[in-house]
Amino acid sequence: MVRSKGYPEALENKLIDRVLYDSDRSPEFTKVVEEISRTIPHMCYQCGTCTASCPSAPRSTYRIRKFVRRVVMGLENEALTDPDLWLCTTCYSCTDRCPRDIAPTDVIMAMRNLAFKRDIIPVNFLKTVQAIYTTGHGVPNNDVNRAARKKLGLEADPPTTHKFPQYIKGIQKILDYYKLKANADRIVKEREG
Amino acid sequence: MADTKKNKKESPAKKVVKVEGVPQSFSPKKEEEKKQARIGVLICHCGTNIAGSIDIKALEEYTKTLPNVAFVDNYQYVCSTPGQKKITDAIAQHNLTGTVVAACSPRLHEPTFRTATKEGGLNPFRFEMANIREQNSWVHMHDGEGATEKAKDAVRIAVAKASLLEDLIPKSVLVEKAAMVVGAGVAGMQAALDLANAGIKTYLIETLPTIGGRMSQLDKTFPTLDCSQCILTPKMVDVGRAPNIELMTYTEVDAVEGYIGNFDVTLRKKASGVLSMAQAEAMGISGGGCNGCGDCEPVCPVIKPNDFEMGMKPRKAIYISHPQVVPLLYTIDFDSCVKCGLCVTVCGDKKAIDLEMKDEFVKVKVGTVVLALGFELFPIEKKEEWGYKRFENVITSLEFERLICASGPTGGHLVRPSDGKTPKKVAFILCAGSRDNTGIGKPYCSRFCCMYSLKHAHQIIEKIPGVQPYIFYMDIRSFGKMYEEFYYRIQDEGTKFIRGRVSHILEDPATKNLMVHSDDTLLDQPFRLEADLVVLATAVQPSVDTDRTRKLFGVSCSMDGWLLEAHPKLNPCGTTTAGVFLAGVCQGPKDIPDTVASAEGAASAASIPIHMGEVELEPYFAQCIEEKCAGCGMCVNLCPYKALALIEKEGRTVMEVTEAKCKGCGTCGGFCPGGAIWMQHFATPQIIGQIDAFLLGGAQ
Ligand SMILES: Cc1cc2nc3c(=O)[nH]c(=O)nc-3n(C[C@H](O)[C@H](O)[C@H](O)COP(=O)(O)OP(=O)(O)OC[C@H]3O[C@@H](n4cnc5c(N)ncnc54)[C@H](O)[C@@H]3O)c2cc1C
Ligand code: SF4
Ligand code: SF4
Repeated sequence: MVRSKGYPEALENKLIDRVLYDSDRSPEFTKVVEEISRTIPHMCYQCGTCTASCPSAPRSTYRIRKFVRRVVMGLENEALTDPDLWLCTTCYSCTDRCPRDIAPTDVIMAMRNLAFKRDIIPVNFLKTVQAIYTTGHGVPNNDVNRAARKKLGLEADPPTTHKFPQYIKGIQKILDYYKLKANADRIVKEREG
Repeated sequence: MADTKKNKKESPAKKVVKVEGVPQSFSPKKEEEKKQARIGVLICHCGTNIAGSIDIKALEEYTKTLPNVAFVDNYQYVCSTPGQKKITDAIAQHNLTGTVVAACSPRLHEPTFRTATKEGGLNPFRFEMANIREQNSWVHMHDGEGATEKAKDAVRIAVAKASLLEDLIPKSVLVEKAAMVVGAGVAGMQAALDLANAGIKTYLIETLPTIGGRMSQLDKTFPTLDCSQCILTPKMVDVGRAPNIELMTYTEVDAVEGYIGNFDVTLRKKASGVLSMAQAEAMGISGGGCNGCGDCEPVCPVIKPNDFEMGMKPRKAIYISHPQVVPLLYTIDFDSCVKCGLCVTVCGDKKAIDLEMKDEFVKVKVGTVVLALGFELFPIEKKEEWGYKRFENVITSLEFERLICASGPTGGHLVRPSDGKTPKKVAFILCAGSRDNTGIGKPYCSRFCCMYSLKHAHQIIEKIPGVQPYIFYMDIRSFGKMYEEFYYRIQDEGTKFIRGRVSHILEDPATKNLMVHSDDTLLDQPFRLEADLVVLATAVQPSVDTDRTRKLFGVSCSMDGWLLEAHPKLNPCGTTTAGVFLAGVCQGPKDIPDTVASAEGAASAASIPIHMGEVELEPYFAQCIEEKCAGCGMCVNLCPYKALALIEKEGRTVMEVTEAKCKGCGTCGGFCPGGAIWMQHFATPQIIGQIDAFLLGGAQ
């Protein structure tokens, strides 16, 4: 029953036009990404060293080489709307090894910035913004950490905003200036109600 | 202007210049010097190359207003026969003293227009070129107005210089009827054989004790798979026998003086500790000298790694690197010899061994030189991610060649260095250190690794039943004759091709197997292979002594260290040092067919000056204005070509230029505190004239 019902739609899906038309490319996108990332993705020769170095690739569909290729070809929508964009761990293994001396990690960062401008961003990233806003930390200290630090002979709280909460104001000022917090709150609200 | 005239009178062009075998030097006539300059200018359209962006008509009208211009015309292609005739005709019709062509780069057509100027009855050095193509229309294609203004400047400057040019007479020097080839790999051997067969006495210099180079280390050669030694040894034997070749192995170039036709080369014959039969004969030890019997080797107590076998086989302190060495002469490695004397005893009456032998210096004179210095592997351990020298079962391609070769350390059985077992899964990693812009590695393609890795895959399939070769590649560059067909054959034999560069290799410490990580870019999926053996198709770089040697001969190199040819397309064997030529890989990576072709080209080019008997030198020499020279001698040490010396003349110390050595670089002229050096064709008044014309416009 389900099958026969779904079949025409699946078939429809199979038969859509899958040609990449040159006119669909956005050369502007390549330029903007290069400007933000300050690296040279247009020099990529698709060797795959990056994907092979990537700790995310073996356990996910995230393919750094494919993202670099999308930049080269100016495939803005494909790149910015692909949820895999957010699977980079920023370990920089690919940047270490790329034989064309490209920094693929920075290419990903540039595209995340562009995606965020279009409100494309996973909620957990926004919650990090909120955490930084309230505590000065993306991952605030907790009791387990405090105990561990003490055991190592360290102070319970590190010499950051945890110890000097008066500086949180400064951080908030910066985040407010870029409307980061307001945007984060807005999007989280839209998504989670 | 007045100043210029004064200088001109003092111009040393009048001096009679002494160069052996040279016709009487030129001295300009007084009247001619005073003659008001009359310059003819021809503006070239170069089709639309120039006329497409520069307004020829406007340029022509402007040129007419310049001082000293007696004639202006333009033409579609000035380099064509009718174009050149315009120059020739104008000289007579308008009684010109100099010519200017505004066109392309002087590198292309200066000789053409000089000839045309000469045919019109003027000294060819009264021609000046304004480059309005490479340096103008091509780079300002979208700014016609700006380009036209810039062209006006260029023409005005050229006219200013042409107005001050003088007659110059090229000197010629005799050429020594002998050549030298440095490096005796397949390139050097081929060049030496060609030169010798053309009747030229040739000194072949090799730093190692044997000739043959890298090719003698190879097992088989792509794409025909013939045995490398089998095709090389006949040539090695020919080199050893050729009456016109004086083979000097274990010898280095120590110093070079002179110039085309007359290079005085000092060679250092490194102490080999062993006398050849000829040397022994000359020393009165009749029937003595090394006959290659090898009795000495077993008694020598010192064991060292054999470089020829990539260190995978031992040799003694007294050794030959392999059985087919030419010349067949043992050599003592004095860095490791303990001078126990056991070899001397066993050598007996042949008295071939001299443990006290010292380096010897010999001087030879040659007319031309071919450099064939070859290559070595890039130290691939610097790419730490592949683990060479950390993981035993990661080897280089040259180590593979020795391991698969029947005369190699394992008798041709490919084994894993860790346990001597036969590998069943072998990964060949292409572009290991090549096409790499990280700064650790080489930006260029090493050119022969694709093809030899295909060959390697074939060799293991042939020798090891059940083996599976994997080739990790980005592109397979199989561009030569029958090369693509070879690629087809290897794929057909069952080699797996993985299109992806290897990111890193990890070793299983228990099995010493290697986990090879790459991306199967065609599937868009990370790919992992547990291999028994990894072969790195390692990038190549210039051999270790290349830089020192090239500097002795005044040859430049490109950014990557390979020796620089005079022109990459039109003069690939020549260098910017007249009389020095390049053969083989030292100019850039080449496989054997290309190496041999380049060697034959270099030999042919090097034989031309020798067969001509004399060569003409461009007369851009420095000249000393003796009245002004204080004899301080500062310039003598500055000259990079050792062309200057102090001499005593009429009770004074003055500087003298050996014109054949001077390259006209101007270092001395720019430095001389007394302004005593006159750079012919680039004299101070001429250059000041150009600067004035540029800064002050047409009026001056
Ligand atoms: C692993 C591997 C496999 C290969 N397989 C193939 C193949 O199958 N087919 C093919 O066509 N090509 C192959 N090649 C390429 C081939 O080796 C080269 O084309 C060839 O050796 C180049 O010859 P050459 O004379 O220019 O340089 P070399 O062979 O390097 O010879 C240079 C010689 O000059 C000497 N020398 C260096 N500096 C000085 C100095 N300053 N003074 C005096 N002497 C000096 C050196 O000792 C050496 O003897 C292979 C290369 C490698 C690395
Ligand atoms: S490693 Fe560099 S060159 Fe290779 S595919 Fe990735 S970005 Fe491109
Ligand atoms: S620097 Fe000038 S003054 Fe001194 S020796 Fe050289 S030419 Fe003569």
